[in-house]
Amino acid sequence: MTASRLLLLAMLAQSLSLAQLLNPQDIGQPPTTSWPTYNGDYTGRRFSTLRQINPSTIHSLALQWMYRISNVGPQRGVGGAVIKSTPLMVKGVLYFTIPDHVFALDARTGREIWHYDWKDQGGHLVGNRGVGMYGDWLYFMSPDGWFISLQAKNGKERWRKKVADEKMQYFTTTSTLVVSNHVIVGVGGDAMDVPGYLESRDPETGDLQWRWDSEPRPGQPGAETWPNATAMGHGGGMTWLPGTYDKDLDLLYWGTGNPNPVYAGQGRKGSNLWTCSIVALHLDTGKLAWYFQASPHDTHDWDNVETPVLFDAEIDGKPRKLLAQAARNGYFFVLDRVTGENLVSKPFVPLNWSKGVDKRGQPIPDPAKEPAVDGSLLTIPAGGGTNWLPPSFSPETGLFYVNATRGYSLVYLTDTDERPEGYGGSARSLWSEHALEAIDYKTGNVAWSHAYPTAGGFGLGGPGILTTAGDLLFTGDYAGNLVAFAPKDGKILWHFPMTQSLSNGPATYLLADKQYLVVGAGDTLFAFALLDSHD
Amino acid sequence: MLLSLMCTLLAAQTAQRPAQRRRGAEGTREFLGLGRQPDAAAAARGKPLFVANCSFCHGANARGGDTGPDLLRSPVVLHDDKGEEIGPVVHNGRPARGMPAFPALTEAQLADLAEFLHMQVELAANRGTYQVKNIVTGNASAGEAYFNGPGKCNTCHSVTGDLQHIGTKHSADEIQRAFLYPSDREPPKVTVTLGSGEKITGTLKHLDDFDVSLTDAQGEFHSYAREGVKVEVEDKLAAHRRLLDQYNDSDMHNLTAYLVTLK
Repeated sequence: MTASRLLLLAMLAQSLSLAQLLNPQDIGQPPTTSWPTYNGDYTGRRFSTLRQINPSTIHSLALQWMYRISNVGPQRGVGGAVIKSTPLMVKGVLYFTIPDHVFALDARTGREIWHYDWKDQGGHLVGNRGVGMYGDWLYFMSPDGWFISLQAKNGKERWRKKVADEKMQYFTTTSTLVVSNHVIVGVGGDAMDVPGYLESRDPETGDLQWRWDSEPRPGQPGAETWPNATAMGHGGGMTWLPGTYDKDLDLLYWGTGNPNPVYAGQGRKGSNLWTCSIVALHLDTGKLAWYFQASPHDTHDWDNVETPVLFDAEIDGKPRKLLAQAARNGYFFVLDRVTGENLVSKPFVPLNWSKGVDKRGQPIPDPAKEPAVDGSLLTIPAGGGTNWLPPSFSPETGLFYVNATRGYSLVYLTDTDERPEGYGGSARSLWSEHALEAIDYKTGNVAWSHAYPTAGGFGLGGPGILTTAGDLLFTGDYAGNLVAFAPKDGKILWHFPMTQSLSNGPATYLLADKQYLVVGAGDTLFAFALLDSHD
Repeated sequence: MLLSLMCTLLAAQTAQRPAQRRRGAEGTREFLGLGRQPDAAAAARGKPLFVANCSFCHGANARGGDTGPDLLRSPVVLHDDKGEEIGPVVHNGRPARGMPAFPALTEAQLADLAEFLHMQVELAANRGTYQVKNIVTGNASAGEAYFNGPGKCNTCHSVTGDLQHIGTKHSADEIQRAFLYPSDREPPKVTVTLGSGEKITGTLKHLDDFDVSLTDAQGEFHSYAREGVKVEVEDKLAAHRRLLDQYNDSDMHNLTAYLVTLK
């Protein structure tokens, strides 16, 4: 951390009175009495140090309240409301979202405090991952590319800034990441070929601080991985899930999505940097520190936005600063997050699109398994080995947990033009099954796995995971149950039938000394706590 | 049972096909927020105008040429609704960028030209409109050998029975998808063995790690906690599942080429 940064933080601390709801300096601590970011902290581990709810008390874990979204009709093109956001909880108030809507609830009772209703002019309503928070202010992304700041106390709009053009087929679904005096804003888009980017904006004014582009410009480093400027301009590398941050290294870690056109790679020979990558960016400038490309020259829609999870642990007996990711392409990666050096690359589901890894640990795509006009059979589902749903890492077990999907798909190339556009192909889902997998970070080996009895789907949605120091793992089973597993061996300890399947990542926090567990399932938020929690 | 199941599934898919295709394109357009459906008649009128006036620079399909940019990703085109943005640019040209003016085109022609471009955008951006191309590339004789040989397809299926005329009734895409793994599956049969040894068999209603429920042959509903009972779910498609690990792409394409000959 630079001296100027320290000075800035000191000035910030002074200027923001103690009365503010959330001191930005408090974000990043292990969350206990709040859940102030999408992942709870900056590591993306979704591990809570709370232990009130544990294997010896879980028999009395009971529903405290439910909040059902009843004041929003069917959403354009998607139907009923589905909560994919992880709620923030700050000073007794929960803030959560669905596309076009922000809700504030009394965290103790589940009663609505206010509701913000945005009228979009386009964009996908595929999901919204929640709000970011700084001081007394919230940040919300509308589907049509507006970065909107609200007053947390009443949901009134402060200002809005246009960050992406929905007419160009960008859409915005992310939860922004607030770090120091930066709000990090990612974008999505894949119907038309547009370049991806990540922006840092001022929390007070919304003004642009820096922008990192997912593709180089002609002549810049990385341009050699594209055949020409036209192909490079088709872009991709969307930044649609929140990344993570290391305060000591002052680096942001972000995943980038697929290149464009999605399935038709004939017009973009080369590895197509920096799509389908994990990138480390300097917080103050957005300059690239290092990258690791998970899917060079992707032609399978392997968005690599899955959470880059940060933890410190031993490799070969030496303490290392690590980054781990269970990627949509079916590989589990462990990197040194100081340098980007690859330490582990190992499939966590069967796959045949790759011929192994190169000397940097990056998978080598098999050209024979690219989408073909007459169909190419893949031994991995069309939605990938996992997807956006949050994973978890427990420092107590040393295991990385992911809800995986195993299966098969058939992929067609439908656009054979030398200048393809859009998706350029389509996929058919075949047999698949969902399984909770616990992966040993040192080897990438699956330590244990629990296959859910429910038949698998495309693999796009699904339940996130939370682990706790109370020796529990919470997730959902795709059949409407909230389930608690023993993190060390996968034994089921508790369940609750919610009727709708878990659709977000569970969050937990203490409120008046009582540990709450809050989860979203379809259109309903459920809050659990122990019946008698003061023992 | 399996023979009739495959036929039933394929028949059901056929019956629903036209409606699904329409829903697919419209539903995807709505989901993506692509705006209104382009007018096909106007786009067809605009095509020869585009070919005559624009394709020399912008390419035959408007995806860009040596001198003109890709118009499918053009901000002018994507911000246009009915020619109000595109029209003036074409009419006046962009001399600074080397684009000539086309003052002779009438307003109606400019509108048709705009609609042609919107149709090109629709066909690229709306993946609900995508059509699989000719997928019959395999060797039918090799497919027949696989059907009766390593695939063991003839163990359950007959080309003179359940699969008779399949090549007439269904598209190659439907056939390839269906033999890999049928998508519209009926609920499977399940047998629950109670602690007493009693067995209850019926159609599976619900199964998770905690509960199993079924409807028996008399239509009676049964529900049990998983603890203490044994559950066996019949998998009629186990052979299809095993083949997914066995096929290479040539086997798959050869089988498709064979099955489409069953007219």
